[in-house]
This record gives sequence, structure tokens and C-alpha cells, in this order.
Amino acid sequence: MAEIDSRYMKYENYVNRELSWLEFDHRILEEARDKTLPLFERLKFLSITASNLDEFFMVRVASLKDMVHAGYVKPDVAGLKPEEQLRKIEEKTHGLVSLQYSTYNRSLLPALKQNGLRIVARHEELTEEEAGFVDEYFRSNVYPVLTPMAVDSSRPFPLIYNKSLNIAALIKEKEKPDQLDFAMVQVPSVLPRIVEIPSAGERVVILLEEIIERNISSLFVKHEVLDAHPFRIMRNADLTIDEEEAEDLLKEIEKQLKKRRWGEAIRLEIEENADKRLLKRLKKELDVHSGDIFAINGPLDLTFLMKMYGLEGFDHLKAPRYKPQPNPAFMNEDDIFTNIRKGDILLHHPYESFDPVVDFVKTAARDPQVLAIKQTLYRVSGNSPIVAALAEAADKGKQVFVLVELKARFDEENNINWAKTLEKAGCHVIYGLLGLKTHSKITLVVRREEDGIRRYVHLGTGNYNDSTAKLYTDCGILTCHPQIGEDATAVFNMMSGYSEPLHWNQLLVAPIWLRKRFLRMIRRETDHAKAGRNAKIIAKVNSLCDRDIIAALYEASCAGVKIQLIVRGICCLKAGVPGLSENIEVRSIVGNFLEHIRIFYFENDEAPEVYMGSADWMPRNLDRRVEIVFPVLDEKLKEKAIHILQVQLDDNVKAHVLQPDGSYAKIDRRGKSPVCAQEQFCQEALDAVKRQNALEEPEDKRVFIPVEGETE
Amino acid sequence: MAAQLFAAIDVGSFKLELGIYEITAKNGLRQIDHLRHVIALGKNTYSTGKISYELIDEMCRILEEFVKVMKSYQVSDYRAYATTAMRLAKNNQIILEQIRVRTGISVKVLSNSEQRLLTYKAIAMKESEFQKIIQKGTAIVDVSFGSMQISLFDKDSLVSTQNLPLGVMAIGTILSKIPVHSWMQRSIIEEVVNKELGTYKKMYLKDRDLKNRGIKNLIAIGELVLYLARDEVDYVASYREKNTALTAGESQGTWMGATDRVSAEDFMAYVDRLCQMSQDQIEERFGVNAGYATLLMPAAIIFRKVVEMTGAEMIWIPGIRMCDGIASEYAQSIKKLNFSHSFDDDITFAARNMAKRYRCGGSHAQCVEKLALELFDVMKKHHGLSSRERLLLQIAAILHGCGKFISTRNTGDCAYNIIMATEIIGLSHEERKLVANVVRCYGQEFDYDDDDTRVAKLTALLRMANSLDRSHKQKMENCRMAMKGGELVITTDYDGDISLEFFAVSFCEGFFEEIFGIKPVLKKKRRG
Repeated sequence: MAEIDSRYMKYENYVNRELSWLEFDHRILEEARDKTLPLFERLKFLSITASNLDEFFMVRVASLKDMVHAGYVKPDVAGLKPEEQLRKIEEKTHGLVSLQYSTYNRSLLPALKQNGLRIVARHEELTEEEAGFVDEYFRSNVYPVLTPMAVDSSRPFPLIYNKSLNIAALIKEKEKPDQLDFAMVQVPSVLPRIVEIPSAGERVVILLEEIIERNISSLFVKHEVLDAHPFRIMRNADLTIDEEEAEDLLKEIEKQLKKRRWGEAIRLEIEENADKRLLKRLKKELDVHSGDIFAINGPLDLTFLMKMYGLEGFDHLKAPRYKPQPNPAFMNEDDIFTNIRKGDILLHHPYESFDPVVDFVKTAARDPQVLAIKQTLYRVSGNSPIVAALAEAADKGKQVFVLVELKARFDEENNINWAKTLEKAGCHVIYGLLGLKTHSKITLVVRREEDGIRRYVHLGTGNYNDSTAKLYTDCGILTCHPQIGEDATAVFNMMSGYSEPLHWNQLLVAPIWLRKRFLRMIRRETDHAKAGRNAKIIAKVNSLCDRDIIAALYEASCAGVKIQLIVRGICCLKAGVPGLSENIEVRSIVGNFLEHIRIFYFENDEAPEVYMGSADWMPRNLDRRVEIVFPVLDEKLKEKAIHILQVQLDDNVKAHVLQPDGSYAKIDRRGKSPVCAQEQFCQEALDAVKRQNALEEPEDKRVFIPVEGETE
Repeated sequence: MAAQLFAAIDVGSFKLELGIYEITAKNGLRQIDHLRHVIALGKNTYSTGKISYELIDEMCRILEEFVKVMKSYQVSDYRAYATTAMRLAKNNQIILEQIRVRTGISVKVLSNSEQRLLTYKAIAMKESEFQKIIQKGTAIVDVSFGSMQISLFDKDSLVSTQNLPLGVMAIGTILSKIPVHSWMQRSIIEEVVNKELGTYKKMYLKDRDLKNRGIKNLIAIGELVLYLARDEVDYVASYREKNTALTAGESQGTWMGATDRVSAEDFMAYVDRLCQMSQDQIEERFGVNAGYATLLMPAAIIFRKVVEMTGAEMIWIPGIRMCDGIASEYAQSIKKLNFSHSFDDDITFAARNMAKRYRCGGSHAQCVEKLALELFDVMKKHHGLSSRERLLLQIAAILHGCGKFISTRNTGDCAYNIIMATEIIGLSHEERKLVANVVRCYGQEFDYDDDDTRVAKLTALLRMANSLDRSHKQKMENCRMAMKGGELVITTDYDGDISLEFFAVSFCEGFFEEIFGIKPVLKKKRRG
């Protein structure tokens, strides 16, 4: 295959992934600023921007800092060295944070008050009566769990926990008025951050740190407290290097290990009007760079807003809860295997319920004809019914193979517990593959039927997690297509350590084959376009930051291929740039559900191919993970998949379109009827159920239909 | 349950494979699962003559896992066959016993000719295509690590089969000992290949009939061609040229396009491109490790040379494995699968061609063959042998005169040596030895030392059949045979004198009686 023209690979054609990520957080923030949304939904979005930003600092900024310490100067796809990236990130994050707080202060607080919820921003604003309650609350609930710490010549500066909320104070001994000391107390995480103050009319809440701040003098009785303010730090505590970086970086850092500063503070947030002396002291003790200090105008750590969302009442200010609907293919008396045999089934979560997937494993566990169940599990919910079913299957003597991926970033402990349970039940459990993260979502059920062995396969874009399936948009296919069954068997054999198959029938598997295959399919469209045939690419992914894929897309665009991309988060591609990407359009949808589906559509001169899968167009997905992308073969399901893409492309409510200058803008809706993809999908799922029910409803209920024994 | 599950285990020189197959009346044979573990048993055997303990241990461990998989599929039967590496290992009996004790699996070591026939049976799984292809002159070329096999088919039957000591491993060894630039390697490989194939061509491609019709097709099999067929990059190139659309199924194919066939022209061009690739490129493009990568180029050159030599126009790569052959043989043995191609006919055909080569295939031989088989059939109750022995008797009859090609004296020993030195496709070493012994003994003193009573039985039958055509005039061609009251009555309506035959029969009837307890009686039919 000819190499991709190097002009597409130039630095100027790419956007730095961190900056693009910050754009994404910005888009979520815009949802929080959208006055047409229910007020409490806006709180939720603001909270998400805050928790996202925390993760961003801990993982991405931390790893960039590591690079700088290690003297690593290799530029990224956009030609930025780590140091330059940090500088730009600093600038952007400060802007983002100030926008977060202006949203909170100027828009959300007044709106909440208008709707009968007063947040006491500073304890000074409490009425006498309220103050009385708060002080009593402090004495009986808070005081006993506080550990105040003062720093003087005999007591060293205390260790401050990563991400913990603390109050720093400047104190002076009443006897020695000219000597200022530093003191602090951690805001206990065991107590709820939001405290509701009983009141007659409107509802009133206050944050825990304000209560402590108000009563701080009772903690340092012999001292006078001059100034006290909450602060919070973030440390470079991620002990493992982020796997997304290049291998040569890993080696570099191993060599430079000594230079790495463990636990270095990489961000300090402190209330805006804190005393200069207090700030200076913190800065010195924590050794934070000035650019990493964020002066905050409002409460620190906005993630408490998620708890606020959970306050009783205010239902009229929240979006109505959506209940996932059954897929019509299952609205009958037949068992799941019979239903799958009738034809492939495409599930669209959370619009359609995740239950069939759970049922698939459960039924398989109990079915005497089932010989084996094999599954990959990654981020499963703690008390997962799937895990219970697998254990039951092993107990019943079936061969159960489970690949448990332990490298999922935030829930290792969760994983290891239930993995042990499975092992005890007699499942063959393996804990991932050396050097690769297993990100594919696949379940295989081998069943011995009258006419031979039949394999049932579930392939999905999302994890086997019944709780996130209610929040993430994902797709899954249930099929007994023999070729897919054969490939699925080969996938599991490969995971058990056997050689790869010579050929794959239908599945596209990373790390070895997927990248080549994607590039090939993109270039096939390029060829079609060059030859004047129909060519088009639609792709929906979470992130797009692979250099080769982007270059191939530029090449396709220049050849005249129409390319429509729906990218939720990071997008390192530049859209609509003359001479480079005029034919590429990028949109991002941020909605109530987290967009998580990956669908790929290739027009292929009127013989369209549609794929779905677990992989994003990121180097880590294509090179360092086991991923599966699968074709949608059934024509009807293909239509359904294309419909999913089309509705998202039609969305003019939640969609942001990437502009040539790199910013995102909402669509001008004048003269168009509003289309909100997520809402439309909800409605369509409800309608489908209604239609199915209407079909089932016998027209003349007075005729009894005798049920006769089925002959098979 | 209607479906029967079967496991085939291939203990190969470079890998262990397990194939799980489903055999149903409706769909015939279908592979359900396939496990493959790369283990270089061969490396050891070729160098030290033994298989080391570490490898045996690894092998047993994998076989234990295979057993688990077999259990999970509830297979009802299995066959485990070992090939070259195990065959050549001096300590193979000990290893087989260890495997049996540790895993419960009994492994049978196949002879080369049995192994080759199995692969042909695997090809025959793709029944309709195979049947179509071998109507024209076809060479089945199996390039493996240790050697290569060329079998020629024409008009639906096997013409000849030869094993050439031209394995890619051997070539690799030569190359590693001659320090040359990589661009020189190709010409060295070509020289080696040319030499071997040249000899082959002189000896075996001169068959007049075959020469006139020519070889049109080449069926390429063996592990390495599977990898050669895997190059995806060139596939795209070929697709681009042809401008055909990829459909879901096809797009998973190989450089050959939607089918598994390629024209000779494309194939040659392809090999030329391959020869220009560096080691790294080969690894990358074929998705193989360095070990395999060094073997791909020699394999490709061998195939190219065979195509040149035979003038084949089309190359078919059916993508079959040894396990497929094991399974299809098994399915056939339990009567769940029928080949429309008769492999027994291939075996007899190979024997007939051999007879032609040693000029013993005249009308006498044909007559003896016919009589021997008639004797076998009529005596069925008394000798208790199976159809397999019938086949062996047939081969012995066909070849019974081949010793005269060397010398008219001591023909038995000459024939024995010819048969032992010639591979007959589909026969195990033991079976070949049986045939050779029968041929040796029919004309001389019987050697009672042989434990195998089958030798005695078949010898007696062959002697009797030969005696009945003692004059080489086919007088008994239309005789009738029947068992009557403990006697074998042979009735002929031949008008002329048959005293020579009478004499010959009386000469060997003692041995016949000794073996079967049956007295043969030759009768001339009275004219009514």
C-alpha cells in the first residue's frame, strides 16, 4: 500500500488532544449554561465538568508533567512539546474554571433561589435562626470528627491528601500577637457536604466547609483566627504512566525514574479572597507553580452539585426519568435462543433495555443444552447479575471462560473481588493479556442443538454493566450467524493463548488487524471518489486522535469523499479547512445520556458496509488493546444502524459543529424544526413497543384460541 | 442426538492442533473449533534425533488442555496422529507412552504416504471443486517443512505421487551455511529447487498421456501456503486493479480475491514481488514471526518453480489442514460421509502406474488381479479378512511381476525391494511391507517366521490366482468359483488344454489347504 502523502501529516493539520479535550469539557459546560434545560439537569452538567477536569489533571496533566521532568521533548501530532502543551492547557483551564464559576454564581444560584432553593454561599449570610441550627449541627455532628492541625516550630507541615477539601487558617496566639502561624483542618469526607437547614418557606442548604469555617475559632481556642479559607490540592499520584503515551516515553521515564517527583502537587485551588500570607505559605510548602494555582470564586469542588441533584423534591426541575423499553423482538413467549434464531437483533441502549443481554447469560447458565459460555468482562457493576449467572453456569458443569480486565483505571478493587468469586465457582478466569488491555465486549454461548452445534454471540460497544447501560448510549448485536460464531470462538482461543486464526470471517480485531483494515476501508472510499463512484464515510466515535486515520480521512476528503463525523470528545482533526478537509464535517453531541456508541459507515459505491464496535479511532484502541469491530450484516439492522447515524446527523438541539477555527458552535435552528437525537430515540423506542403491543392484541377477544402442543 | 462430535489432533512438526468437528447427516462434516499451539518439535528431531523433555512436557500440557476442550464439547470419539517430527524421533515410543499416561490420548504415528493421503482426503472435503479440478491434469503440491510431495491427477485419478527431499527447513539450513547477500539468496534457492525438480521432471513427467494433455491445475497445500495466501496488502492491490466491490464476506479474503484461486500469471508476479521484500516486510505483511518469515520465500519459490515446470494455468489454494483430513477420514469410516472420489481407486491406480513403470502390467497381471479378487470374495467366510486386505491383495497382484524388471532371477527379492523403496500413497509402512512380503513369497518358499498371518493368507490367495494363469494365456478368465462341501470348486468352460494350470494348481494346493483348510478343485465344465 502506498504511504499516505506526507502533506496530510503536517503538524498544522492536527489539534492537540488535550486542548481538544478541554473544548469537550467546554461543550458540557455550555449545557450547564443552557437556560432551556431543566435547572437541576444544568447542575448535573456543571458537576460533570468539574469531575472531568479533576480526572484530566490527575491523568493527563500529571503525565505531561512527568514528561517535562524526564526531559522528554518529542512533539505530539500537532507539533507541541510537553512544556508548550502545559502552557496552553494552563491558559485554557483557567478560562474554563472562571466560566464554571460565573455560571454557578451568576446563573445557577439566582435561578435556584428563584425556584425556592437558597444556597448559603457564605456563612455570614445566615439568619440568626439558621446560624443557631448550624452551630448546633457543628457541635453535635462535625466537631467530634475534626482533626485540627497547627504548624509551628515543633510541628511540621502536615500531609495533605490528594483531592481532599481542607480549610487553611492564619492564626496567632492570643499571648504572642506578632507571630502568625499556619493551621488547617480537613473537611471530613464522611459527612455529607450539603447540609439542609430546616426552614418554613424556601429550602435552605449550606455547605459543610462553611459550617466549619464559621466555627473555626472553637478549634483553636488559645488563638485568634485571622483568616480561614477552603483549599484543595491535586497531586501527581498516578503511579502508572498513562498507557496512551508512546512506548519510547515509557522507556525514557524508566531511565529517568529518579527525576520523577512522586506526589508532586500539580494544582492548588483556593478561595479567591484568601489572605496573601496564607496563600504564600501554602505555595511555599506545597511547592506549586503559580500557574497551577486557581483562585476560586465560589465553593471548591463543584462535584457536590451531583448530590444536590439528588435532593428530595424539585422533580419539576429535573428531566423526566426515562425507562428503557423492551426490544420488540423479545416481546413474546419464546426463549432468547429461539428469538435470536429468528434473525439477528440489534439492541440500542439505553433506549432499549439491557435486560436481554443479562437474560442471554442467565438463560445460557440454566439451559442444559449449553456447553460453554465465554465472556470478556471489563468494568462490571459490583453485584452484577451476569457474574452471578456465570458462577451458576460453572456450578452446573458448563465450561465457563471469563477474561477479566483488571487494568480498568478506577475500579481495580471492585474487579478483583468478583473475579475471585468466579474462580471459586469453577470458571476459568484469566486476568487480561500481557501488555494489552482487553476492551472488546463479546459473549459466546455454545449450544448443542438437535441439528448440531450452534453458537450464539453478543457483541457490543459498551461494557457488560447493567447500571451504566442505563446512562450510556450503546449498541449490541445478538446473533447466531455461523461465521461470527466461528470468529468469536477464535477470539477466545486467541485469548487463551493459542495461535491466531489464519483468517477472520467477519470480525475486525485489534491490535493486529484493525488499524490496517480501517485505513483500507477509508482508502477504498478515496478510490471510489477518484473514479467518480459514490463514496461517503460516516463515523461515530468517542474520540478521534489517531494520526494515520486522520491523514487518511484528509486524503479521502481531498479526493471528494463526503465525510460526516460524530465525535463526542477529543477530535484532533481539523474540519472544513480549504485544501485539506473541505468535505469533512464534525459534530459533537452532549446530552443527558453519555454518547458511547461507535458506528462506522462506508458507502462503498452503493454497497454500504456498517460496522460497530468497542474501538475509537485512537492509537491506544488500535494498537494496544484487544478490540472487536463487527459488521452489521442483516439488511434491516443495517437500516436501523444507519437510522441511528442519520438522526444524530439531523440533531440540531444538542449538536455542536466543529468550526474551521477549532471552536464548536451550536446549529442555527431558524426555520428548522428542532431535532434532539436522544429524545427522538426515546420516543421511537416507546412507539415500537406500542406498535408491537397493537400487533399482539387479538382483535376479537371473544374467540378462544386453543393452544396446541408444538410439534418440532 | 443427531449430531456427532469428533476431535482430530495433529501432532505436527511445528505445531499441535486440535480440530473439533461436527458430523451430521444433513450438513456432513463441519469444523466447530480449532486450536493451534506453535511448538517446534521438529527442530529437535532434525538435529539431535530426539525430542527433549521440555518439549514433551509442553506438548503434554497442551494436550491436557485439548482434552478439557474435547470434554466440554462432549466429543464421542477422537483420532490423534503424529507426523514427521515424531516419526523421526528415536524416542518416539517412549514419548507416545508418556502422552498416553499423562493425557489419556493415544497418538498414532503416520507414515509419509498415509499422511499425504489424509491431506488429499481433506481436500476432498471440498468435494465438488476437487472433483471438477482433477478431471484435467492436476498437480497437488504439498510443501512442508521437511519435504515436499507432488501428486499428479488426471481424468479423476491419481497418476503418480512422489516425495522430494525439498523441504523449506532444508533450504533454510543450506542458506544459513552459505554467507551471501539477501539478493543472492533467491538464485541459490532456485538452483537447489531446479536441481531437484529437474530430476523429478525427467523421471515422472514424461508419461506420454499426461504430456499430451498437460497439467492445467495446481492445488497448493501445506502450512506455508496458508500463510502465503494471507497477504492482505496485495489483495487490496489486486482489488484496486479489478475495481470490484468488496462485500462483507469477500472483504475478509486474501490477495487472491473472493475465491481461493489465482492465475499462474498473477501468482508468478506475486512471488517476484515477495522475493524483493525484506524480512521485516514479510513479517509485517503476512503476520508471521521471524521463524516463519525466513521460510516463506523458499516456499514461494518452490511453488513458482513447480508452476513453471508443469505449465499449470490455475492455482487453487483450498486452505485445508491435516485435522480436516483426519476428520473426513473418520467421518467416512463411520459411514457418515461419502466421497464421490474413490481413494481406494487412487491407491490401486498408483500401483498400476508403478506396474507400468516396471513393465509388469500386461494382461497376465490383470487376469491374476481379477482371479485373486474373486478368490478373496468367494473365500470370505474362510479367511475372515477385511476390505482393506482385499485392497492390499489387489495391489500385490498388480505388482506381483515387478521384480523381473531388475532381473529374471531372484525376482521375489527384487520385487520386495522395489515395493519397499516406492511410496504407495495411502498405505502405511506396515501395509506396504505386507504387500512386499506377499509379492516376495508367492513365487518362492514361504517364510514361516513372519508373525503376520495375513501374509500367509494373501500369499496363498495370490499363488492360487497366479497358478490359474500359469500359461499367461488367460484361460481361466471366465471361470466360476464356488464353495461346495469344504472344497473350493473352480469351473472353467475353456475349450483348450489346461494341463499346465492343473499342474500349477496341484503344485500350490498343499499350501492353500494348509492355510485355509480348504481344498481347491479345478474342473472343466462338461459340454452339454
